[in-house]
Amino acid sequence: MQKQDLEVAIAVNRYGLGSRPGEWQAAKRDPKQWLLDQMVSPQFDPAVGNLDMAYDALAVSRDMKKQKKQMLAQGMEAEKGKNDPTKGLQRNLIRDGFERSLMTEQPFSMRMFDFFSNHFSITTGGNVLGAVGPLLEREAIAPNLFGRFEHMLLAVEQHPAMLVYLNNEKSIGPHSRMGKKKGGGLNENLAREILELHTLGVDGGYDLDDIQQLAMAISGWSVSRGRDKEPQQGFIFRQYGHEPGKREILGTSYSQQGVKQGQAVLRDLAKHPSTARFISQKMVRYFISDEPSSDLVDAMENTWMQTGGNIKAVTTTMLGHEDAWAPTLEKFKTPREFVISCLRACDVTPGSRKTARFNKQFVGTLSAMGQAPFKAGSPAGYSSDNESWTGADALMKRIDWVSQLTDRVKRDPIKVAQQTLGDSLSETTRLAVSRAESRQQGLALLLLSPEFQRR
Amino acid sequence: MQRRQLLRLAGAGMLSWNVPFALAGQTQRPKVIWVLLRGGMDSLHCVLPLADDDLMRQREGIVAGVADKALPLEQGFALHPAMDNMYKLYGQGELIPIVATGSGAETRSHFRAQDFIECGLPELNHDSGWLNRAVVAHQGEGLAIAHSIPVSLRGDLLAKTWFPDSLPPAEDDLYARLQGLYQDDTLLHDRLMDGLETRDKLGDMKSSKASQRFTSLADSCARLMVQADGPDCAMLEMGGWDTHNNAQFRLNRQFSELDAGIARMKRLLGTQWNNTVVMVASEFGRTVAENGTKGSDHGTGGAMFLAGGAVQGGRVMGDWPGLAKSNQFEGRDLRPTTDVRAWMAATLHQHWQLSESQLQNVFPGISPVDARLIKRV
Repeated sequence: MQKQDLEVAIAVNRYGLGSRPGEWQAAKRDPKQWLLDQMVSPQFDPAVGNLDMAYDALAVSRDMKKQKKQMLAQGMEAEKGKNDPTKGLQRNLIRDGFERSLMTEQPFSMRMFDFFSNHFSITTGGNVLGAVGPLLEREAIAPNLFGRFEHMLLAVEQHPAMLVYLNNEKSIGPHSRMGKKKGGGLNENLAREILELHTLGVDGGYDLDDIQQLAMAISGWSVSRGRDKEPQQGFIFRQYGHEPGKREILGTSYSQQGVKQGQAVLRDLAKHPSTARFISQKMVRYFISDEPSSDLVDAMENTWMQTGGNIKAVTTTMLGHEDAWAPTLEKFKTPREFVISCLRACDVTPGSRKTARFNKQFVGTLSAMGQAPFKAGSPAGYSSDNESWTGADALMKRIDWVSQLTDRVKRDPIKVAQQTLGDSLSETTRLAVSRAESRQQGLALLLLSPEFQRR
Repeated sequence: MQRRQLLRLAGAGMLSWNVPFALAGQTQRPKVIWVLLRGGMDSLHCVLPLADDDLMRQREGIVAGVADKALPLEQGFALHPAMDNMYKLYGQGELIPIVATGSGAETRSHFRAQDFIECGLPELNHDSGWLNRAVVAHQGEGLAIAHSIPVSLRGDLLAKTWFPDSLPPAEDDLYARLQGLYQDDTLLHDRLMDGLETRDKLGDMKSSKASQRFTSLADSCARLMVQADGPDCAMLEMGGWDTHNNAQFRLNRQFSELDAGIARMKRLLGTQWNNTVVMVASEFGRTVAENGTKGSDHGTGGAMFLAGGAVQGGRVMGDWPGLAKSNQFEGRDLRPTTDVRAWMAATLHQHWQLSESQLQNVFPGISPVDARLIKRV
């Protein structure tokens, strides 16, 4: 195989979402540069969904529920056919994100976006999170995707979605005015996951005191429901719920007042060596190998420390390292990567009528494969390890789904192979495809081949 | 010969589905079902220590209104009122609640603690699970009700996986050709063969309403286990236990679901239930005191259950350390007085007859509890 072709295959498959027709040629000129040029934030249309829309939808949804209750109480039958607007909003947001991944000409940027969206994983459930949850990635992550990690971290931990998801909105300092008057107390959930999952990592060198001190530092970080005294909905800092006094975290003393105290802690956490190591390692595991090369992780960690956590610089270091271009395909595509890369390979578009059901069933498909959007079920998000996605059942579901897809799309498997894998197509697969009993079966074999599922 | 090997021998041509196959006495092999409650189950609200005055003192906001309806067990403990099926099992001598157990993991991280309780070794190893080591010693087969193999069942034996869905299956010819295509990819090839085999066993179960709730997972698990050559052990899991807020309402729902799932298992296992042990545990318990949002935070000591017709039940076991502040672990959690693995080891010894040296391989450094947990046959 030509070295050039291998690098193209790595660029479009390991770091992208699999090539659409034409993308191979675009990447071919200079595969590494093609990736570097993609390091810009994905732009989402706020008209599809934003916080104001989410709160409006929530208000309507609450009214509908109240009305329904009243009608039932009066023995009347509740009106049917009226849909909860928070569910509609969530559907639109998920569809918009999916279509973006399907059509993007900057697939590397979308993979980075998916990485951080999963790093700050939210599981939706209930009305408030259903409406607000899917906005976190668009409002807090996308704008900071290739900026400094501290900006992303601050935006995430002050977003209503995260504050509600990890229960900080009702965490009250016991010695605050509110704590003394009404009782209540701390909830250490968000503080714990900030340290364990968002920054230092579980081995990052913190203890129970650090967790409790951080919980105090961010007590009073809450969400306004837009009533009377707090008309602006969204993040709010309530001084009267904030634990007064100095904090001591990881040996540093924080004497700041008010909201600045928690912000100062987060800024330091973002630049901490444990954070640099933890996230660099996680990135390498996500893109390249379940057993990251320590040389590569060291290089990224160095860049992190030298640039104060500049994500673009750290990513550039990764792509510039020779281990990032190792020829062995060590990673197995996750269901999301697999489904999107199949649809892209088959040139499916959001508008195509014949394949409309595959777009419509995107969420259902991913949930059958165990990776539904915003449903990881834990703040740790979905694992990117091969072991999580290579079970017998997971493979059977891929086979069934591919066989449905290839029954509908008419593509020449040999052409699809050239445009997605180039020379890296194995002789075994080439033979199997050419001996298939039909074009559809040939395409199914290609999409299910080891080299299409591994990257 | 294992069925998997037989299927493999069927080769890359068309598969013959009805390989005649029967192991005499297979249906009477003793079964183990391992249920992991992910998220830190609030044991103090599950097996309520009503005789301990500190319960009401420290978590009134969670307990009030539930305590007086709780179902009385011995020694002043009581089961949450939503668990009436499990209470019946207790009455019939088929359930042992064990209080104040710990996983041995010195961490309040969910993920680390779950890995720990699944791996069962003093040093974490994500590629070796206790149930895999145990079933290898027992020379049996394992099944995970999951998309992919959870840590508990990773190791030398390639466990099968199954999870409900609603996609129609592909044509047989495609599966046959994929076997050829995967000839150089051992992993994909093995998983394909396992997937085909499990599907074959389930027959038309696939077309029944596929739900991913715990009750229906328990349902499928039991159906798979009673097959003539069904697995010797299975693992399933249930999430939703991380009750940092609104615990009373959420736990009521959780306990009902768990309770219904166990009842479903008993019904569908039929006579096989008499030869089954279901072990239920969580990665850790929760703080003794309620937090600021009518819930509780991550703790240490918890509770576990042994259920099944093979269990010599109807008693509460474990040493109760007391809930008073001075007795708490690190001044906040229920103090674990026994290790979950010590109970599991004793169960494996009495139910599967694993020897002392085999148990040392399953749970190195752990001594089995010295008590009768399984009925003598």
